Amino acid sequence: MARYGMALDYKNCINCKACEVACKEENGVELGAEKHRIWVGGNDPKGEWPLLDIASAAFLPSQCQQCEDAPCQEVCPTHATYYDENHVVRVDSEKCILCSYCMNACPYDARYVDDRTMTVDKCTFCSDTRLARGETTTACQNTCPTKVRTFGDLDDPNSEISELLRTREHFSLKAHLGTNPKLFYLT
Amino acid sequence: MKKIEVSRRKFLQGSVSLCVYASSAMAMPLATTKTSKKNAEDVPYLCNMCRNKCAGFARVEENIITKLNPNHYFPKSRNMLCPKGNAAIQAVYDKDRLKYPLIRMGKRGDGRYRRVTWDEAYEYIKDKLVKIIDEEKDNRSTVAYCNGEGFNKDEYIKFFGSKLGSANFLDEGSICLNTKLGATQLTIGDVGEMDVAGSDYMIISGANRYESLITPDSVDMLHAKQKLVVLDPRCTMTAIKADEYLPVNPGTDLAFCLSMIYIAIKDELYDKAYVKTYFKDFDKLKKHILSKKYTAKWAESKTHIPAERIKRITKEFFAASHPLYYLGRRSVWSQNDFQFRRAMVLINALAGSINRKGGIIFGKPFHLHEEEINEPLYSNTVDRFDLDGIVYGSQKGGSWLNFREKIVTNTSPYPVKAMFIRKHNLMQNMPNIEKTKKMLNMMDLVVVLDTMPSDTAVMADVILPECTFLEREDMVVSFNRLEPSLALRNQAIKPMYESKSMQDILKGLGKKLSVPLFKVSAKHDADLQESIKNYGKEKAFTEGGYNMTELYKYDITTRNKKLITAQFGKKVYDSLKKRGVWHPYIDTQKEIFNNYYEYYPKEKRHYTVERNYKVHCYLKKLEKHGFDPIPAWNDHYDFKVPKEAFRVITGRYVTTTQSATANNEMLKDFQEENYLWINNDVADSLGIKLGDSVAVMSSVSSIVIKAYPTNKIAPQVLWLSHGFGIHAREMTHAFGKGASDNMILEDKFEKIYGCATMHETNVTIRKL
Ligand code: SF4
Ligand code: SF4
Ligand code: SF4
Repeated sequence: MARYGMALDYKNCINCKACEVACKEENGVELGAEKHRIWVGGNDPKGEWPLLDIASAAFLPSQCQQCEDAPCQEVCPTHATYYDENHVVRVDSEKCILCSYCMNACPYDARYVDDRTMTVDKCTFCSDTRLARGETTTACQNTCPTKVRTFGDLDDPNSEISELLRTREHFSLKAHLGTNPKLFYLT
Repeated sequence: MKKIEVSRRKFLQGSVSLCVYASSAMAMPLATTKTSKKNAEDVPYLCNMCRNKCAGFARVEENIITKLNPNHYFPKSRNMLCPKGNAAIQAVYDKDRLKYPLIRMGKRGDGRYRRVTWDEAYEYIKDKLVKIIDEEKDNRSTVAYCNGEGFNKDEYIKFFGSKLGSANFLDEGSICLNTKLGATQLTIGDVGEMDVAGSDYMIISGANRYESLITPDSVDMLHAKQKLVVLDPRCTMTAIKADEYLPVNPGTDLAFCLSMIYIAIKDELYDKAYVKTYFKDFDKLKKHILSKKYTAKWAESKTHIPAERIKRITKEFFAASHPLYYLGRRSVWSQNDFQFRRAMVLINALAGSINRKGGIIFGKPFHLHEEEINEPLYSNTVDRFDLDGIVYGSQKGGSWLNFREKIVTNTSPYPVKAMFIRKHNLMQNMPNIEKTKKMLNMMDLVVVLDTMPSDTAVMADVILPECTFLEREDMVVSFNRLEPSLALRNQAIKPMYESKSMQDILKGLGKKLSVPLFKVSAKHDADLQESIKNYGKEKAFTEGGYNMTELYKYDITTRNKKLITAQFGKKVYDSLKKRGVWHPYIDTQKEIFNNYYEYYPKEKRHYTVERNYKVHCYLKKLEKHGFDPIPAWNDHYDFKVPKEAFRVITGRYVTTTQSATANNEMLKDFQEENYLWINNDVADSLGIKLGDSVAVMSSVSSIVIKAYPTNKIAPQVLWLSHGFGIHAREMTHAFGKGASDNMILEDKFEKIYGCATMHETNVTIRKL
């Protein structure tokens, strides 16, 4: 029993896509650019050559924000979307009827259809792969070359993530929507 | 499970096109396989998707690799795997892999091959080689051999160089980093290693460390408390992440460096105590630099970097406590490349940043014992010719462009008739592809050892399928100088299909070749005839070292065990088998934050070692050959592009390693084809929009590529990534995607190291 979250030191993200590949390989995500649980959004530097404002460029690793108050879970008619014992938002593929309400409800565009399992899928914090076999972290966290991602139990005051959130400023995406994400972007 | 198609019709004809694979009982996993909830075997290995050799653990479930994870024991790779490293599974299970030995049936290049047994392949090679070497009267150098992969290179050289006796070995150095290695070696007596983590002020010229990852540098840069200044004609990810980005004209970084030296000497910013102790011919350097007046204003006119910034950065650099001008390592850009690399070394030296924290360090690498072998002496073998006309050049890996030029113009002192090519995509890796094709077509025998088909493989007469790095054990390797370690690549799964490790391939080849080739020598080599007369055939053969399989008496596991235990003991061997790595602090290393470890305690790192060396300002040999003995600017180095034309520069994406990853099904999702970077204003004025097809024409040839208008590149410069535009249909994911830079690059090379200069081609473009 834990309340898992992730803190992202996003200014260190070099958009290398190691996390995306690691996620696909670990969780058997289908190939194809459309099928991904994580991605990196971003923008190029503003300005005109040669006067570029390099500080204006930013790369934001994104995925399911693991909302505490998840709109996707609220709208799911079959209760396929649920919170597991670690507060991770999960999808039960037996119950999913592909109505796609959750895909529309998610403000972060985190969901896609897995054509092989015929389920709406998304990031699960590797809950039914790594965490299920007792490992303590996700595939993306584990591989990131520049150590952007810190994963851990928000309820454990001694965890590295709790410490980070105490000591560093951070923000959530679309905080005004009241979804209470468990992904935190460190500034 | 993926369906495997069999083309019966083609089999009946007796020929198999490379891309048709026979049915196989072998389990072919889906493109991605979800890892199971069970614990599985974790085999320590070393990645081979690029030159870094990061350490990882391969998760193996029922003989299938389902996941690759980083290995936190390895100081070099800092507990990470990049996207390519993660996607290595796709390289193993690529359905286009070379699976069986093949002998050519059709014309070179058309991809028609017949599947043969290993013995038939060896037999074919033997017959050809005996004939060729006999024709050349036992001049073994008629067999050239090359290798583009770091691992096993020395062993490959032992086979074809020491045992078979050819002097003509070529590697990627002359289309990569030889000028840098040479400049460092000749200036401070060692190639050294850069301590990025220890530097508080770093300047990078052109090296794109956040898209062309080098471990540990790329990882350390973001975490070191340092100011990072990046010079590049293109605003790369490295430039974006810098503290200060200086757009620079292509090929003019030398002018920036010369100006830094000028300012440092004129304003006496340099480390006087260091210069006094270590510099040789400082007076000559000083006189030369001051008399040339390489002022910031002058450098501005060459580089287009504002003089004020050059001045300020120079001051900041020399005021820092651990400044580092990062030497980079990538393809050679222009005629001044050697001088440019040397100027960077001199800047570091002027700052005293040699053999100390945050500078170019010498450190203390582990020296592994060599496995001794007996080398035959071939009296009729003639030396290499590709360094004729080159001042230094690499005696080991030679000069590709000079070699190829001499072959295709028939000006080599003797004919080269056979070529063994291992993991080296000649048809894609050097400028002017038509010339490479011509060279290969002149050969009587071309043998390719590789894991994947390629534009080069389809030119081969015989293809020998090598297994991938996850299917084999390799000899132990020593890494790094500051925090040295040993690492061992273990075998995760058995070789698939009929592929074999290089060692097993060479063993089989050696068995087949040893005696027949000995007989050829006995026919032509007077010294050998003498020795046969004195000692008898058998003794002359064995004691003369003619048995080509000498190194392969034991399998690789036994060889590793013997070598490692003899030198380091059993504990180290066990660590290498279990953890893939050994370093003296492996049991006490600690995580300092989020996946980032401290390996050697700070006081144990080899920042400074005892060493007698000098910093050589003046290289006499260069002067003798008519080159600048001290780095200087020459007018023809100026960046000049005719009106309406552009300068092409190259590089690569973070998801690609040259053409080696072109067919990777996972990686192609990120970058299926390359795009031509063009300045957005220029594109506007030409009516070129994102995705428009553009023809790019040079004096060599032309390509068609899609455009990517961006503000991240200068108006007169175009950029495209290397590694695309594959012609071989046998690479089903890569075929026809994007365009190849080497189709249009002119094949010029500089004369100090014989390296191809990749950034000197001007082109015109036309919207299609
Ligand atoms: S980010 Fe989207 S998918 Fe994830 S929990 Fe929130 S609403 Fe649901
Ligand atoms: S692995 Fe790390 S640096 Fe690379 S894209 Fe993902 S978060 Fe960014
Ligand atoms: S940088 Fe990437 S491709 Fe290169 S060795 Fe490391 S993991 Fe492999």
